[in-house]
Amino acid sequence: MSAAAHSVVEPGLTSKRVAGAIVILYAVITMVPLFWIFATSFKTPPDSIAYPPKILFEPSIEGYCNLFTTRTRQTAEYIASLPPATSFCDETTRKRNMVIAGQSNFLPRFVNSLIIAFGSTFCAVFLGTLAAYGFSRFKVPLADDLLFFILSTRMMPPIAVAIPIYLMYRELGLSDTALGMILLYTAVNVSLAVWLLKGFIDEIPREYEEAAMIDGYTRMGAFFKVVLPQATTGIAATAIFCLIFAWNEYAFAALLTSGTAQTAPPFIPTIIGEGGQDWPAVAAGTTIFLVPILVFTILLRKQLLRGITFGAVRK
Amino acid sequence: MSGKTIAKRQGRWPVYLRRGILENIAIGLIGLGFLMLFQPFALVLYTFSFITMLVGTVMFIVVSKFPE
Amino acid sequence: MTDSQSSVLDRTAERLAAATPVPLARKVRGLSDKGLAWLFITPTMLLLLAINIFPLIWAIYLSFTNYRANRPNEIVKNVGLSNYQRILGDQDIWIAMQATAHFVFWTIALQTLIGFTLAYLIDRKFRGHAFWTTVILVPMMLSPAVVGNFWRFLYQPQIGLFAYAVSFFTGISPTEIEMLSNVHLAPWAIIIVDTWMWTPYVMLICLAGLRSIPDYIYEAAEVDRASHWRQLWSITLPMALPFIMLAVLFRGIENFKMFDMVNLLTGGGPGSTTEVASITLKREAFEKWRTGYSSAFAIILFVAVFGLANIYVKVLNRVKNR
Repeated sequence: MSAAAHSVVEPGLTSKRVAGAIVILYAVITMVPLFWIFATSFKTPPDSIAYPPKILFEPSIEGYCNLFTTRTRQTAEYIASLPPATSFCDETTRKRNMVIAGQSNFLPRFVNSLIIAFGSTFCAVFLGTLAAYGFSRFKVPLADDLLFFILSTRMMPPIAVAIPIYLMYRELGLSDTALGMILLYTAVNVSLAVWLLKGFIDEIPREYEEAAMIDGYTRMGAFFKVVLPQATTGIAATAIFCLIFAWNEYAFAALLTSGTAQTAPPFIPTIIGEGGQDWPAVAAGTTIFLVPILVFTILLRKQLLRGITFGAVRK
Repeated sequence: MSGKTIAKRQGRWPVYLRRGILENIAIGLIGLGFLMLFQPFALVLYTFSFITMLVGTVMFIVVSKFPE
Repeated sequence: MTDSQSSVLDRTAERLAAATPVPLARKVRGLSDKGLAWLFITPTMLLLLAINIFPLIWAIYLSFTNYRANRPNEIVKNVGLSNYQRILGDQDIWIAMQATAHFVFWTIALQTLIGFTLAYLIDRKFRGHAFWTTVILVPMMLSPAVVGNFWRFLYQPQIGLFAYAVSFFTGISPTEIEMLSNVHLAPWAIIIVDTWMWTPYVMLICLAGLRSIPDYIYEAAEVDRASHWRQLWSITLPMALPFIMLAVLFRGIENFKMFDMVNLLTGGGPGSTTEVASITLKREAFEKWRTGYSSAFAIILFVAVFGLANIYVKVLNRVKNR
C-alpha cells in the first residue's frame, strides 16, 4: 500500500528526469526569440542582417543610439569640419556618414505609455476595490448579472468597441488625448479588477470587520482599518495585472491615438532606418519595453493563475 | 434561498422548463451557430449563423433565470 | 496577524480616522449598508455604461444606417437590415471567417495539446520545476503587438533566425522559407507565434486542473492496478476537463477577436490569406470608412463573443466551486 501511494505522490526518478528534460528543452526553445530580441538590440545594423545569423558578435549600443535619436545624412567634408564627437552615439553616427539631428519620438511615447498605464491602473484599482467590496459584503440585487455584465465588457472585440468610441471621442474632443486613453483602459481593466479583488476580499473573514464594528468602528472605518490592510497583496497583484494590460495594449492605441497621446506599442513597429526597418533600434525599443514586464512576471508568478482566470482558480 | 422555497417553485415549474436542459440546448445553439459561421461548405449556412447564435445567446440569458 | 502588524494597522486607521473631516464622517456613519453598497458599486457601473454600453447602443443604431465617419455632414439614411444582409451574404467576409476559423482551430488544437502535455510533465515535480514553469510563462505576459512585430524579423526569409533554423534542420534553402509572403505559409506563421505566446496560458490552467485531483483517487487506481494510460484516460483527463474547457473557451474568444499580433505580422496578407475577422473589420471601419456597415459587422462579432462569454462564465463558476 505504501509503495502504491509513494508511486502516486512521488513519480519514479527516470520519469522525473525525462519530464524535466522535455520541459527544460521547451523552455529553452521558447526563450530563443526573447534572447534574439535582446541580442539584436546590441548588434550593429550590418551585423543584425548578416547571413548566417550571428550568434557571436561585438556588442554595440548603436541600436539604442538610433532608438533615441533622428539622424540626417551628410557629406564626409561636412562631418570632418565638425568639432570632435562628444559621445559614443555621436561617433558611431558619424562613422556612418550621418549626424544626429535631434531626439526621436521614442522617449515621449514611452512616457505616454507610463502615464496612461499608471493612470488607468490607479483608477481601475480604486473603482474596482470599492465595487468588489460592495459585491463581496452586501446583498446586491442581481449581483450575478451585474458581475457577468462587468466581465462581458472585457470580452468585447476591441475593434468593435473602437468604432463607436472613435466617434464619441471625436465629438467630445478626447481623440488622441491621454485622458481619453486612461478612461478607456480604466473601463477595460475595471472588470478584471472587480473580479480579482472580489476573490481576494471574499477570502478575508467577515468576523474581522464585525469585531471592528463591535469595537465602535463604522462600516467605512472597518473597511479602512480591516479590509484594506488585509487585501494589500490582492490589491498589489491586481494593480500589476492592470498595469501589464494597459502597458501591452495595442488595438485601441493604434486606432485612437496618432500623435501626442500615442503609446509605445503602436510606435515601436514604425521605427525605420535607411532602407527599411532599423532592426537593432526596434530590438532596443522592444527590450526597454519588455524589461518591466519581465520583472512584474517574476513578482506575480504566484498570482498569475488567479489573474488569468479572473480570480476563479486559486490553486 | 431556503430549501423550502426551491421545492415550492419547482413544484409549480414544469420539468421540461428546468434550467439544466434548456441551458444545454442554448449552448448547443451557440455552438451550432459557430460551426455554421466557420464552415467552408455552404454560404446559406453562414448566412443563418448569426441568427442562430443570437437566438442561442438570448435563450441562454433567459433560461439562466429559470429555477434548477 | 502578528502584534506588530496589527499595531501598525491601528495607527494607520487612527490617522485615517483623524484625517476624515467630521461632517463627512457623520454622513458616512449615517449611511445604511444598502446605501454604502450602491455608493461603492455605482461609480464602476457608470463608467462601464459610459465607455461600453452607450457606445454599444450607438453602434447598434449605426448598424441600421449608411453613416460614414469620414463624411460627418452627409445625410444619414436608415437602411434597415440591409447592412446585415450584405455582410451575411458576402462571399469575401465568409472567406475571412474561414481564415479566422483556421486560425482559431489550429491555435487551440496545438496549444491544448502542447499545454496539457507540458502541464502533465511539470506535474511530475522534477527538481527545479517551479523555476522552469516561470520561465515558460514569460511569453504570455508580453505585448502581442511588440513581440509580434519582432517576429517579422525572425521570419525574414534569409536573415531571419526562424528561416535559418528551419533550413539548418531540413536543408531547404533559407531563401525559400518565406513565412510571411507565401500564401500557404502565412496562415501557419501567425499560428506559430500565437502558439508560442499562449501555450503557457493553457499549460498554467491545465496544471491547476491536474493539481486539483486528489491523490486518493490515484491511490485507489493503483490498488486496482490500473495502468498509467488507463489512469490518464479515466481519471486525469475527465477530472481536468472543466479546466481544459476553461482554457479552450478563453483562448477561443481571444483568438476569434485576434487583431494586434496578426495586424503587425502580416496585416492580413498576402492577399487576404490571413485576413481574420478583426482585420476585415478594421479595414471596413478605419480604411474604407463604411461606419454603418462595419458597425453591423461589429455587432455580429460581438454577439458571437457574448454567446461564448456566457458559456465561459458558466464553466468558470463550475471550476470555482471545485
